[in-house]
Amino acid sequence: MTKNSLVQRLVLATAILSTLALTACSGGVGGDQNGPNDEGPIRIGMLAPLTGSESVYGTYLRNGAEMAVEEINAQGGLLGRPVELVVEDDGCDAQMATAGATKLVSAGIHLAVGGYCSGSTLPTEQIFYSNGIPQVITAANGSQLIEAGLDSVFLVNGLATQQAQSAVKFAQKQGAQAIFTVDDGDAYPKGLTDAFAEYGQPAGLNIVAHEQINKAEKDFGSVATAIVGSGADFVFCTAYVQPCALLNQQAKQYGFSGDFLIGDGAVDAQFADLTGAAYVERVYGTFTQTPDMLVGAEQWLASYQAKFGAEPGPYTTQAYDGVRVMAEGVRLAGSTDRQAVADAIHGLRGFDLFSGPATFTDQGVLADSSFVIVVLKDGKFVLFDDLKS
Amino acid sequence: MIQVIVNGLSVGAFYALVALGYSMVYGIIKLLNFAHGDIYMLGAYVGFVVLGALTSWLSLPTALGLVLVTLVTMALTGGAGVLMERVAYRPIRHAPRLSLLITAVGLSFALEYGVRQIFGPKPSHFPVQIDAGSVNLFGATITTARIIVILVAGVLMVVLSLFVAKTRQGRAMRAIALDAKAARLMGIDVDRTISLVFFIGSALAGAAGVLAGAVYGTIDFLMGFIIGIKAFTAAVIGGIGNLYGAMLGGVALGLLESFGVAWLGGQWRDVFSFLCLILFLTFRPTGILGGRVVERM
Repeated sequence: MTKNSLVQRLVLATAILSTLALTACSGGVGGDQNGPNDEGPIRIGMLAPLTGSESVYGTYLRNGAEMAVEEINAQGGLLGRPVELVVEDDGCDAQMATAGATKLVSAGIHLAVGGYCSGSTLPTEQIFYSNGIPQVITAANGSQLIEAGLDSVFLVNGLATQQAQSAVKFAQKQGAQAIFTVDDGDAYPKGLTDAFAEYGQPAGLNIVAHEQINKAEKDFGSVATAIVGSGADFVFCTAYVQPCALLNQQAKQYGFSGDFLIGDGAVDAQFADLTGAAYVERVYGTFTQTPDMLVGAEQWLASYQAKFGAEPGPYTTQAYDGVRVMAEGVRLAGSTDRQAVADAIHGLRGFDLFSGPATFTDQGVLADSSFVIVVLKDGKFVLFDDLKS
Repeated sequence: MIQVIVNGLSVGAFYALVALGYSMVYGIIKLLNFAHGDIYMLGAYVGFVVLGALTSWLSLPTALGLVLVTLVTMALTGGAGVLMERVAYRPIRHAPRLSLLITAVGLSFALEYGVRQIFGPKPSHFPVQIDAGSVNLFGATITTARIIVILVAGVLMVVLSLFVAKTRQGRAMRAIALDAKAARLMGIDVDRTISLVFFIGSALAGAAGVLAGAVYGTIDFLMGFIIGIKAFTAAVIGGIGNLYGAMLGGVALGLLESFGVAWLGGQWRDVFSFLCLILFLTFRPTGILGGRVVERM
């Protein structure tokens, strides 16, 4: 009976999910909103993780996009039409994302902006592409996302490979002797540690060991033991904020005293709280600039706080910028046609984003990645080294 | 080596505490209470709220405060367990087993997303953290927090075994596990005893939740899911329905994982522990103690 019960729970979960997916598909087809048209509002569809372990970031993405949409509407909309944001939950899960993307398509969206987890964003590319919808991916930045070579897919976050190069540069600057890398096995964190090894080894970095952790766990005592045992003086953790914060805490409890570098997924104001006040020394992160690091963004910050009653989080700015890039493309193209918008976005030269002036390569990624090194100081991440020199 | 064992024991202590509730409930009404892991999560959040309230009223020393919070939390999560049984399981106790199971899965989601609705999806920072340094033992670093976890779990398990073995209610539980109908005919209040089992099981899971908050410093609404599955695994390895089996299974699973990581690397941890589950289900479905001890509970 026990064996059956576990199986049953899984079968049940699958059944529920597929029912949800089915209702999601039929909802749009049976409804009165059929396909994109040239009348009424321009709809921007957004996929973001609103449930599940990554759901905190889904809210950041949605808020950022909402803010941009509101600004555009205040300035009279796009092509004389109002803009509407339609948000669907992807739960950071490939199946849910596929269902969500299908639902958005049948709800008649013209443009797609969003995506936090690379693994769940990947299957949505083909769905949007084949339905004639251009797509700007806001936070996800796994290298797999550009492998399909779709010319109407754009990434406003730097690629994992670009981030890995920044991390390599930083490790060299710090004079790391023995490096230990950790990821959680998800597409993006794993891609980042792989890329780090790929660029690090030719650069002469000594990567002594690599471990994978389960992001749902809280006890990383075994990995902490392995870190100390390996004699590493530099750890690169690419998982999300909670596992990295706990690993930093536990590794330092076990006697690790070197540099602890985290990927952009873990750079969050919460890190200091989660890891504990005694362990905040020598914590660094690779990150794109955030509003509080930029001069002249005070006004943006203030209006964000007024609207949502909270500080913006990681990727709020990317979601905001993602909508703006898409809107600019539509404005220049004069339509929401996939090819026309894609050409217009490819034609942008130095479009002003939070992460700096943006120009997209043929692959749809930012030509200049703006990864910098931040350091944990007084409970916040602040700029440490812009790696320009 | 010692390091690996201590790591395994402290994780195993959590598994054992949660597995006890799983196993006791299964022993008495043959229900796999999949919402049990979420009671652990609920315990962490109740502890979080109580601790916040407590520190704003009076200033207690950390240790005393934590003990007090643990006791209050145990009472509250125990109550939640009783309520859960009364509202969701009792009305359908004689329905087909599948209905109970689906109700349990539903309750699990209801608890997870109910807590998320109240506290938000962000992990919360537990206000008090056991963080009193570490000792060195034969070259192994052992943090005080880990020692406390092992001790607290040990004490709770000893108290529970004594309760089940020596008291009238304990005897009633064992009687119902053997044959509920006969127990009723002998004048045992079956409903009351089942409520008591839910109370104890949930109180233990709640205590584990507070401990987890105090040791790791962070709590989140999904923290109960994986430990629920692991505790289930531990209960099966030890012999589900068997009290000592749950304790043994928890510690065994913690050690298996710890050695698995040491030998094969972190990416193999879950592969290794669930492989053990499958091996046990195939070759010894009654678990380590299931065969020898005929008397369940």
